Amino acid sequence: MDLVLVVLAAATGAALAAALGVAPLLARPSPPTAWLAWANALAAGMMIAAAFALAEPVRGPESGAFALGAVLGILLIHGSRAFSRTEGLSLNRLDEANPAYGYEVLLVGSLHSAAEGVAIGAAMANDATFGLFVAAALALHNVPEGTLLAAVFRSRGVSLPRAASLAVVANLGQVVLAVASFAVVAAVPGALPWALGFAAGALIYLVMVDLLPESYVGAGPTSIALAVILAMWAFSLLHGVLRG
Amino acid sequence: MSQAGYVLAYGMVTALATVLGVLPFAFVKQVSPRAVAASNAIASGLMLGACFGLVAEGAELGTWQTGIGGLLGVVFILITQRVLAHRDAGFGQVRGAGGRRMILIVVVMTVHSIAEGIAIGASFAGGMTLATVITVAIAVHNVPEGLAITAVLRPQGVSLRSCAWWSFFSSLPQPLLAVPAFFFVDAFAPALPYGIGFAAGAMVFMVLVELLPEAYEEGQRGTVGLLVSLSLIAMVAFQRML
Repeated sequence: MDLVLVVLAAATGAALAAALGVAPLLARPSPPTAWLAWANALAAGMMIAAAFALAEPVRGPESGAFALGAVLGILLIHGSRAFSRTEGLSLNRLDEANPAYGYEVLLVGSLHSAAEGVAIGAAMANDATFGLFVAAALALHNVPEGTLLAAVFRSRGVSLPRAASLAVVANLGQVVLAVASFAVVAAVPGALPWALGFAAGALIYLVMVDLLPESYVGAGPTSIALAVILAMWAFSLLHGVLRG
Repeated sequence: MSQAGYVLAYGMVTALATVLGVLPFAFVKQVSPRAVAASNAIASGLMLGACFGLVAEGAELGTWQTGIGGLLGVVFILITQRVLAHRDAGFGQVRGAGGRRMILIVVVMTVHSIAEGIAIGASFAGGMTLATVITVAIAVHNVPEGLAITAVLRPQGVSLRSCAWWSFFSSLPQPLLAVPAFFFVDAFAPALPYGIGFAAGAMVFMVLVELLPEAYEEGQRGTVGLLVSLSLIAMVAFQRML
């Protein structure tokens, strides 16, 4: 199979995983805030570990391009949040009645998935196995993220199947960006460390500006820290074992 | 100088390098609550970034051993935190949550130096060139560690001189453990991945449970997010360069 098709399939799979996030909502239609906070924390841990994995193929002199790419990624996300006026948005307000809120949550969700798309594309351009691993990690990450999105939509009266599809739709941008960044990196020599840095920077920034502060609001620091570190730990262990 | 003398001297060099991290704070006069948040954010980024290097290195020596060490590091911080809270321990004049954070960062960084000391001593088994390379690498990356310690201590009113002393103190296990690790390299080498994992687990957990919540409480989300991300990326890129 052509590698581009692998990228397409992997990114689509990762986006579809968001639909699984509705599972906890079957048990509790209106979940306690602590659940959402823990879901956020798990998603954060997996995202940090994925960003660390992206830095690993970078060697010696490429570090400069990696760092500059990362700064670009951080500033781009920072800028687009300021531009869309969603920088202070709380992602798990189930009681928010403002109609714009649902769209804003959808927008921020799309921003997250865009960064994930670049991560999958760049990782795949580095090495197909590594790319599949990053895609699998981000697919796992999309499950708790899907729970968050679906819970917000459910609280606004959206039906369960529709909430699940909206969670997937918010993640569709990652398919387009995965294929696009894979193509760019494959075509432009020397672009790889830039792309890896861009994705790593964007992922880290989203964790630090969205996922973590949101989690600390919903549950105590000890349980949040444990959830984040558990996700990081499991991911790093799996990464190490697979690499042999 | 005998080779053991070199081991001690190399360990001393890395310990002294930590003190250089205090320097940037010589130029900062006033410490507002916002600066505390910024300091905590930078320290968090540097420590999380350092953990990336530790895990990458540990994975080369043994993934499972590093993983087990990591869990032990988390448990260690959980227990230390409970003990400190229970005794209402303070750091100098500072009591309560602030004092606890100060003690924790010094303890975490000191424990983390143990693994670095063993690495220095064990590297001599690979010849003088390898030992010099490893020592320079550890010395250079100790500078941001001194910065991280000072970033937590200084805003609480600790003098620059004391910050320098505590930075140096946190690195003392390096010369002290490099020498026995050099003599008993066969006994120490298998412990190294556990030690590296322990250091990484303790650092990350300490950042997540103490430094970051404090930073988000005192500072603006966007600013804290930017500072953590930028210092983390700088630390990761820096380690990839070495």
